[in-house]
Amino acid sequence: MKLVGIVGSIADQSYNRMLLRFMSTQYRNMADIEILDISDVPMFNQSNDQSDSPAIQYLNHKILAADGVIIATPEHNHTIPAALKSVIEWLSYNLHPFTDKPVMIVGASYFIQGSSRAQLNLRQILESPGVNAITLPGNEFLLANAKEAFDESGMLKDDRTASFLGSTLQKFVEFVGVIGHLNGRADNPGASEDLYATGNCDTTVKDVDMRDPQWLEKAAEKTNAVSGDAYVKLDRGLLTVNQIDRFLKTMPVELTFADENNQFIYYGDQGHDPKDMLASRTPDQVGDPLYYVHPERALKGVATVINNLRNGKTDLFVLPVPGNGPTKHLMHYYKAMHDEDGVYRGINEWVVDLWPIVASYLKQTGKKLVDDPNAKVAATTGASSSAPVEPDPDASTGASEEEEAPTAPTTDASTGASEETEAPMADATTKASDADIFVAEVDETSGASEA
Amino acid sequence: MNKYIAIVGSNADKSTNRQLLQYMKQHFAPVAEIELMEIKDLPVYAKNADRKTPEQALEMAKKIDAAAGVIIATPEYDHSVTAALLNALSWLSYSVHPFVDKPVMIVGASYGALGSSRAQGHLRQVLDSPELKARVMPSSDFLLSHSLTAFDDTGNLIDADNTKLLDGLFQDFEKFVEITKQLNGTLSQDKVNATNVSWQDKK
Ligand SMILES: Cc1cc2nc3c(=O)[nH]c(=O)nc-3n(C[C@H](O)[C@H](O)[C@H](O)COP(=O)(O)O)c2cc1C
Ligand SMILES: Cc1cc2nc3c(=O)[nH]c(=O)nc-3n(C[C@H](O)[C@H](O)[C@H](O)COP(=O)(O)O)c2cc1C
Repeated sequence: MKLVGIVGSIADQSYNRMLLRFMSTQYRNMADIEILDISDVPMFNQSNDQSDSPAIQYLNHKILAADGVIIATPEHNHTIPAALKSVIEWLSYNLHPFTDKPVMIVGASYFIQGSSRAQLNLRQILESPGVNAITLPGNEFLLANAKEAFDESGMLKDDRTASFLGSTLQKFVEFVGVIGHLNGRADNPGASEDLYATGNCDTTVKDVDMRDPQWLEKAAEKTNAVSGDAYVKLDRGLLTVNQIDRFLKTMPVELTFADENNQFIYYGDQGHDPKDMLASRTPDQVGDPLYYVHPERALKGVATVINNLRNGKTDLFVLPVPGNGPTKHLMHYYKAMHDEDGVYRGINEWVVDLWPIVASYLKQTGKKLVDDPNAKVAATTGASSSAPVEPDPDASTGASEEEEAPTAPTTDASTGASEETEAPMADATTKASDADIFVAEVDETSGASEA
Repeated sequence: MNKYIAIVGSNADKSTNRQLLQYMKQHFAPVAEIELMEIKDLPVYAKNADRKTPEQALEMAKKIDAAAGVIIATPEYDHSVTAALLNALSWLSYSVHPFVDKPVMIVGASYGALGSSRAQGHLRQVLDSPELKARVMPSSDFLLSHSLTAFDDTGNLIDADNTKLLDGLFQDFEKFVEITKQLNGTLSQDKVNATNVSWQDKK
C-alpha cells in the first residue's frame, strides 16, 4: 500500500517530520510511506493562481497517486500552521486531489496538549466541501512533549507510544482498503504506481538525471562504485566485480533489475545486438524510470503487475510470449525481491527461450509433441493472430505445477481483452520486446505491426 | 476619538471583507478613526534561528500596539480562517506580541448563506491561544452572507437590518474597549506569559 506523509511544518528541524520518518521506517512492512515536504509552496492567493507551479503539481500528483495520506501537523496558535493551511487551500481551489482520499491525522507538539486542537481543526478543514477528504474517525495520535520523545536515532523512546502508533496505522491501512473499495480503486491496483520514479528509495542515486544516456557512468562516479578487480562479499561467496559480470553474462536467461522506486537499473548485456535479444534493451536505457521504456499502451498493465508484486498479491508473474515461430518459446518471469525484513525491493525479471529445453527433452526421451484435442489453449500461439495474449500461464505453458502458475494479475484478463492497448503482454506478431514489462521497444513502429 | 486597526483577512486583490471594512471606516468616521491593514506580501511563516520577524510585520505590530482595538474581517476558506490571515497572526505572535490583551472585534463576509461563521469561530479559538491572548468581544458575531451582492455602487450595505446590527455591535465594541482597560489585573503578566510560551520552542 502506497501512502504519502505530509509534513505540516516547514521548520528546518521538525518533530512532525521526525514522527513521519519514524513511521515510514518502523512500519514499512505495513505500508510504503513517502514523505512530502511543503516548504516550496507559496502562500495561497486567489489573485495569483499558481496551481500549475511545479511545487503544487508535485503534491497534487503524489496525493492523487497515493492510496491514502497521513498529515502530521504541529500546533501554532491553537490551529494548524499557515503553511499547511495554504497547501490545503491550493489543493481545494482548482485542484482537488483530496477528494475521497483517506486521510490520517497525527501530530507532535512541544506541549502537553500535543496538537489536539490543531488536529480537531484539521479534521474540520479536511471535511469541508472543497477538500472533501475522508478522515479516519477517532484514533487520534497526539505526541506531546515531542522534544523528549525521540532518541538520537529518531526512534520513539516509549514502546507503548510506538505500539499505539503502530496499531493506529494498522487501522488506517484497513480503513484505506475499505475506502479504496468504495472508491473503486480495487479495480485499478496499478493506479498508485509511480512509473516516473519521482520518489526515491534508499539506493536511489540522487542528483543524476535518470534519463541521461550516461546515467550509469555518472551514477557510478557519484557513488564511487567499485568495478574491475574489487572484491564483493556475497551470500555466499567472494567474487570480484569482473567475475560477477562474467557470471551474469553467461546466465542462460536475459536478466533485468528494476528497483522498488520503479527505476530500471540493470540488465545483463551479453553483447548481442539489441535486435537479436529475446527482449531488446539498449545501453542508454539503463537508469530510466519504467515509464520511458514502455510504449504508452503497455503502461497500465505494467503498473498493475508491479503493484501486485509490491503488495504480495503475487510473488511471481509469468508471461508467455508466443508468436516467435515453432522453434522458440519465450517466457518472461517477474519475481518480486524482498529484503531480510520482507520489504519489497524491486523486481528480478528474466526472459528465457524454453524451446531448447523442450527440444532436448524430446530428443532424450524419444517423444514428440502432439496437439491435445481437449486443451483450451488461447488461439494466440498461431503466429498470425494479433489478439492479445491472456496472461494465463496455465493455458499457454501447459504447466501443471500449481506453484509455477501464480494467480496472474487477471485485472487485465477481464478488461484488457477488449482494450488491447493496455495489457502488458505480447501480441503475437510483435517480437518479445513489446511484451516486456521493463523495456519495450521505445521505437513504437517496430512493434506495432497490428496497427 | 479612538483609533482602530482593521485587518483585511484576505490577500486577494478583490475581497468583500475588504469592502466591509472600507464601509465601516467610512460609516463610522464621525465616531472613530479606522485604518485598514493589509496582510499580503508577508513571507510564509517559519521559525528561524535568530527569531527574526519581517520588517512589515514589525510595522504592523507597532500600529496594533498603538491602536485602541483591532477589527478583523475574515473570509472563510475550507470552513476556516485563510492561510494568509493565520500567517499574519503567526508573525504577530513570534518575537512580538501586539495582540496580548488587545480588544478585538471579529466580522466576516462570505459568498454563501453562512457569512463565514465557521471561520469566525476558528478565529476566536486562534486569538485565544497563549501567544496571541487577545480579548475578543464575546457573543458578537457579524456575519455578512451573500457578500457579493451585499453592497451598493457607493460601497454601502444594502440591507438596513445589517446596518443597524453593525451600528449596535460597534457601539458595544467601543464600550468593550473601555471595559477592557479596567481588566488590567493580569496585563503585565499576560505579556510575560505570551513571550515565555514562544521561548519554549527555542532550541
Ligand atoms: C507561533 C507559534 C505558536 C504556537 N502555538 C502553539 C499552541 O497553540 N499550542 C501548542 O501546543 N504549541 C504551540 N506552539 C509550539 C508547537 O508545539 C511546536 O512549534 C510544534 O508543534 C512542534 O512541531 P514541529 O517540530 O514539527 O514544528 C507554537 C509555536 C509557534 C512557533
Ligand atoms: C480555497 C477556497 C475555499 C473556500 N471555502 C469556503 C468555505 O468553506 N465557506 C464559504 O462560505 N466560502 C468559501 N470560499 C468562498 C469565498 O472565498 C468565501 O465565501 C469568502 O469568505 C469571501 O470573502 P472575500 O470576498 O473577502 O474573499 C472559499 C474560497 C476559496 C478560494
